Amino acid sequence: MDIAIVTDSTSDIPADLAERYSIHIVPNILVLNGQSLEDGKGISREEFYNLMPNMKSLPTTATASPGDYMWLYEKLLREGARYVLSVHASSMLSGIINAASAAAEAYGDQVRVFDSASVTLGLGFQVLMAAEAAVRGAAIDPLLTLLNDLRKRARVFAMLDTLEYVRRSGRVSWARARLGNLLHIKPFVELREGIVYSLGETRTRRKGVEYLKKLLFDQGPLERLAILHTNAEADARRFLEEIEVNLPTPPLVVNVTTIIGTHVGPNGLGFAAVVK
Amino acid sequence: MLSDPQSVTQPASTLECPINGQGLKILIQSGLMWLRTNQQIVNSLNVFPVPDGDTGTNMVLTMQAAYDEIADSAEYNLGKMAHAAAHGALMGARGNSGVILSQLWRGFARALDHQAVLDANSLVQALATGRDTAYKGVVRPVEGTILTVAKDSAAAAEQALANSDDPGVILEHIVAAADQSVQRTPDLLPVLKEAGVVDSGGMGLFFIFEGMLRYLNGLPLDSALAAVRPLAYMNLENALETIEPGQDFEVVIDFRPYKTMDLVGFYDDLEKIGTSIQVGEGDGIYRLHIHVADEKRYQPIDYAMTLGTVTKVAMENLVAQMADQGGKCSDGKVNVASIEPGQIAVVAVAPGMGIARVFGSLGVAAVVEGGQTMNPSTQEIIHAFENLPTDKIIILPNNKNITLTAKVAAGLTVKKVAVVPSYSIPQGLAAMLRLVPAGDFDKVVQEMTEALEDVETGEITTATRTVEIDGVEVQEGQVIALHNGKLLLASTNLQEACLGLLEKAHADHFELITLFYGLSVSKNEAFRIADEIRKAFPEQEVEVQEGCQPHYQFIIAIE
Repeated sequence: MDIAIVTDSTSDIPADLAERYSIHIVPNILVLNGQSLEDGKGISREEFYNLMPNMKSLPTTATASPGDYMWLYEKLLREGARYVLSVHASSMLSGIINAASAAAEAYGDQVRVFDSASVTLGLGFQVLMAAEAAVRGAAIDPLLTLLNDLRKRARVFAMLDTLEYVRRSGRVSWARARLGNLLHIKPFVELREGIVYSLGETRTRRKGVEYLKKLLFDQGPLERLAILHTNAEADARRFLEEIEVNLPTPPLVVNVTTIIGTHVGPNGLGFAAVVK
Repeated sequence: MLSDPQSVTQPASTLECPINGQGLKILIQSGLMWLRTNQQIVNSLNVFPVPDGDTGTNMVLTMQAAYDEIADSAEYNLGKMAHAAAHGALMGARGNSGVILSQLWRGFARALDHQAVLDANSLVQALATGRDTAYKGVVRPVEGTILTVAKDSAAAAEQALANSDDPGVILEHIVAAADQSVQRTPDLLPVLKEAGVVDSGGMGLFFIFEGMLRYLNGLPLDSALAAVRPLAYMNLENALETIEPGQDFEVVIDFRPYKTMDLVGFYDDLEKIGTSIQVGEGDGIYRLHIHVADEKRYQPIDYAMTLGTVTKVAMENLVAQMADQGGKCSDGKVNVASIEPGQIAVVAVAPGMGIARVFGSLGVAAVVEGGQTMNPSTQEIIHAFENLPTDKIIILPNNKNITLTAKVAAGLTVKKVAVVPSYSIPQGLAAMLRLVPAGDFDKVVQEMTEALEDVETGEITTATRTVEIDGVEVQEGQVIALHNGKLLLASTNLQEACLGLLEKAHADHFELITLFYGLSVSKNEAFRIADEIRKAFPEQEVEVQEGCQPHYQFIIAIE
């Protein structure tokens, strides 16, 4: 293929789709009890979220090194790609894109790094739709135009089961300020233009699920949809049934990567969408 | 395969001059060693961009990767050695600070491309190129970080060049400039100032430079100089929250040392006595804070007296403080949200410190004291409006009798004020959950008003007279229960009143019961009743909060 597509593991693209569209996914790093694990290796998402409430110290996450990106870019170009399009997690939330940009610097125009301003399938759908266009033969500049458009149409909303993890992770300034006196608080977050915003809270899960539905319907007609969860698969499937959406591309149900889960905690429920 | 840090050995004792490839290797090794020695200090400073305490570790891993790449190299050419180290850093860079560090190395190496040995000119040039490469590599450069320290160090090196052509002398200027630059980072990055720290990545870079200089000066690289925080940064407020089992007393001692303090020995000795050790210094006075077991409560004083003149001692029995606090509210201020102009601020009327604190934690910008039989004045409410830096305000009266006062106050200010008519504390809290400070005003008001219906309110209080209301006979002095403002039952027993209320309110159809206990109820009593409620309602979550409200033994949210 003329254009090779690269992303990182915060994109949450299911392995079969990544393979079908030849998407190269660079794993991020989970540091668990002092041990560095590549995303997806050493511990499953299910295991991780089950263990999380009893972890004495929170894991941390790190980007792959610029060297890892360089190695991949080098390989793809050597194998005949004319361009590499490397699409990554929001630069407002993570340094991943700095590692990619640092690596890309050596290749000039041949490697284009794009800030998706999103994460999980908010990023993943941008990558997938760009890859689909690439397979259909789109050239590099139209692909970047497409991504610029998709970035504006990508949505991510979530209900976290507790404020605790997002507050401790410190990636979200408003959460840091809250010393959360109330124990039962389910915060709602929206990821918009790279930044996580608070959409208020509910105190019970039942009301939270209803609110999440309302948020979904407020988005208008959808082009893509993924129900996201952190080890709440049953809730995610029920949510999908209850919203009764009918899309040309079947919705995905995804247990979110531990790299993101570290910062949001288990039992979260949400969705990523591309609006029309 | 990712490797975790191994140890490095002390660098060789001689450095050939001029500095060639082997010399650079020794300097890198020295920087790595000194950084590793101070790794925990760097980790502890880590609040930006993410306070996860791994900046020091990530920078060590990155430097280790740089060093591993060259550890066995016999290369004498400076440029080739620099390139190899930069390659190692690039491949092994860990975390954002590591990525930036690898870019500094990359630029550094690039400038030395054709240099066999290091001279003052090329060192200055290499630092400048390192700085430029690092700034370019970061998608959103932020000042007050490692980037600023790299920039200031490069500038100092350039200035020093006017007076010296000795790389060692220039390195001295670099270290001094990096030190000062690190100290200035809180002025450039507010999040650092708030946390009372300097930037961790910048500090890490400083340690790398300083390690190189320490090597040149023959100073050891493997023992840390213990750091002491300025007195102003000591955080003693939350001591109560961090009480450990067996550590019954908090002792705070001020003393003026007889001679220069051996800090490493000092900390070692303290660790044998107790926990939660904090040491601060200012104007020649040291302040020592420690938690100790009952039988060791005088030890810290005796110990401090061996070190200097003790000027002040404060001792508190933590266990006694934690125990029954019935009749009084626990200390702690209300933390209200800081609101920016243009955002929506909420003013809440709250009848007790505990409830005020919960409102604060949910993002209220101001609390006006008031409630049943203690209505705030219109003036007090207007005052709260006027003091907020925004003109979009929502007020939660949290009591039926205060709604009118709130409406009057809203009409008397030029600011745009909406009254969301919460009749109870639980309603006010439910409304708060829907606050989006940056949202559309009318939409937020509508959502908050709708949320009033999300919760059922229970109130437990004592009857002040004998009366019959809604078919319920009440004797003066009995405990009565109200459900959404309506009298439900009277009882001689607090626990029965709570259970009766929850039963009649069909709490078993809900998910969560939150009890706010009032001033007249002790913490132990509140938790005991909560346990009885858990037995009666095993499917529901029961949460207990200190409310500190007068008149009401319990305010209960059912949702």
